[in-house]
Amino acid sequence: MSNSQTTSAGIGAGPRSALSAWAHHHRQAALISLDKLIREPIASFLTVLVIGVALAVPSLGLSLAATVQGQISQIDAPPQLSVLLRQDTSLADAHKLRTEMLRKPGIADVKVIDRDSALADFVSATGLESLVQRLNRNPLPHTLWVYPSANTRLAGVEQLQVDLGSLAGVSQVILDSRWLERLNAFTDLLRTIAMVLGAVMAVGVVLTLGNTLRLGIEARRDEIVVIKLIGGGNAFARRPFLYTGLLTGALGGVFGGLLSGAALLILDAPVKRLFDLYDQAPSVPSLILSELLMLISIGAILGLISAWYSVQLHLTRIQPR
Amino acid sequence: MDLVFDRVNKRYERREALSDLSFEMHSGEMAFLTGHSGAGKSTLLRLLLLLDRASSGEVSVGGRPLSKVKESRIAKYRQDFGVVFQDHKLLADRSVYHNVALPLEIAGFTKRDIDRRVRAALDKVGLLDRERASPDALSGGEQQRVGIARAVVARPKILIADEPTGNLDPQLSAEIMGLFSAFNSVGVTVIVASHDLALISRMSQRILTLDRGRLITLGAGSRGMNE
Repeated sequence: MSNSQTTSAGIGAGPRSALSAWAHHHRQAALISLDKLIREPIASFLTVLVIGVALAVPSLGLSLAATVQGQISQIDAPPQLSVLLRQDTSLADAHKLRTEMLRKPGIADVKVIDRDSALADFVSATGLESLVQRLNRNPLPHTLWVYPSANTRLAGVEQLQVDLGSLAGVSQVILDSRWLERLNAFTDLLRTIAMVLGAVMAVGVVLTLGNTLRLGIEARRDEIVVIKLIGGGNAFARRPFLYTGLLTGALGGVFGGLLSGAALLILDAPVKRLFDLYDQAPSVPSLILSELLMLISIGAILGLISAWYSVQLHLTRIQPR
Repeated sequence: MDLVFDRVNKRYERREALSDLSFEMHSGEMAFLTGHSGAGKSTLLRLLLLLDRASSGEVSVGGRPLSKVKESRIAKYRQDFGVVFQDHKLLADRSVYHNVALPLEIAGFTKRDIDRRVRAALDKVGLLDRERASPDALSGGEQQRVGIARAVVARPKILIADEPTGNLDPQLSAEIMGLFSAFNSVGVTVIVASHDLALISRMSQRILTLDRGRLITLGAGSRGMNE
């Protein structure tokens, strides 16, 4: 053993300032966590994969719901109203009604379909000429097709339906928007499912990552005991776990973004084909940077919550407290 | 740093671990704590490190009553102590160097200071050439010396050792005790709990003998008595 003075064990300056030491401890904890993730690539990757999938599924559902609803809002602006006139209303009265309707706000155009043309179209479309010939008279009324203005919302069109129904000579007003309402309800359902799924998966992420960190805490129990015995305290012991949660969650967000982006690329063509049927030309949006950053942030926050929950539950139970 | 135990009692459910214990140690003093298994040595050290609180009475360190130390300040309080354990408590996944550096990292020393202090502490215990080794590659005596280096590296005001020679042969035990005396000679207050009467009776420092939680002897080793 050396014979030099024992006091030299205490050479050098004192510790950093409290703030500087705190910042240094955080930097060290982040580096230790990163190093641990790199040293255990398979375990880390599997955890990141679980978080990525958990974030990608609701993200994808919400993106699709937003795309479809965006298109619906464009489709439903001018739904058509079919105004069936009473049998005793003449064609001249039908044209007068057209003029009257065009003066109303919220109506872009009105087209008169006379009953003879309508019957001819019916025969042409159905081939039921022999049946029609046996009728004594044309059973169809004159009809007005009303096109609401493009900026009229569905609620406004429904009010128009009521107003037009009260006009003299009008028998019935049919608003052909049920299919839009159904599609709207379906996308609402899709969005709700995505959000519920997101909440359930967020809880899953917290529990899964929390359990992974619990195993990490157990594996480092001896180290934690020593740290506490020599003055490290809970804050010093928990920091690496908090950074592990944060980093794993953020990497899960990156992976979730990549998965979601790839799925959106694959879904672009089928969604285009669907909306082609409604003379719309939408494009499924690709994942943009802000959405990727949001997924990374959500992943990081979930990771931090998992770590905090796990650390509070398990680390503080390790003696000494 | 003065230590004062003033009529301290500690009960664990139905068992009285310490009973009406009173004694004082002055700053820079060294004492051995001895007694049979279950005499209360470890309880006394636990109270000092605030791993437990006294059931009644007061323990004061440096004039500060420990009953007044808040839970949130305990970690900081423990930084005044260096602790040597019987089972060393070295971290197997860290090198000797990084085991010794741990208290300095906790205290927030700079990398440069850590390097200087760790090397100096390892030099003191004669293990500078083993700094890169894993603790598992060391003998029992070497591991204990690493434990001592870790305990003194942050220059604690009080050094506590709980059965530090429990697993060592007599020659190594004497070397370890010599190290404690050396640290004490530069002003560090040292308390060594040991039931190895043959070893501590050869030392000159005070001996506190506990029996079933009570202090029964407050004397000095044979060298001290002869002097």
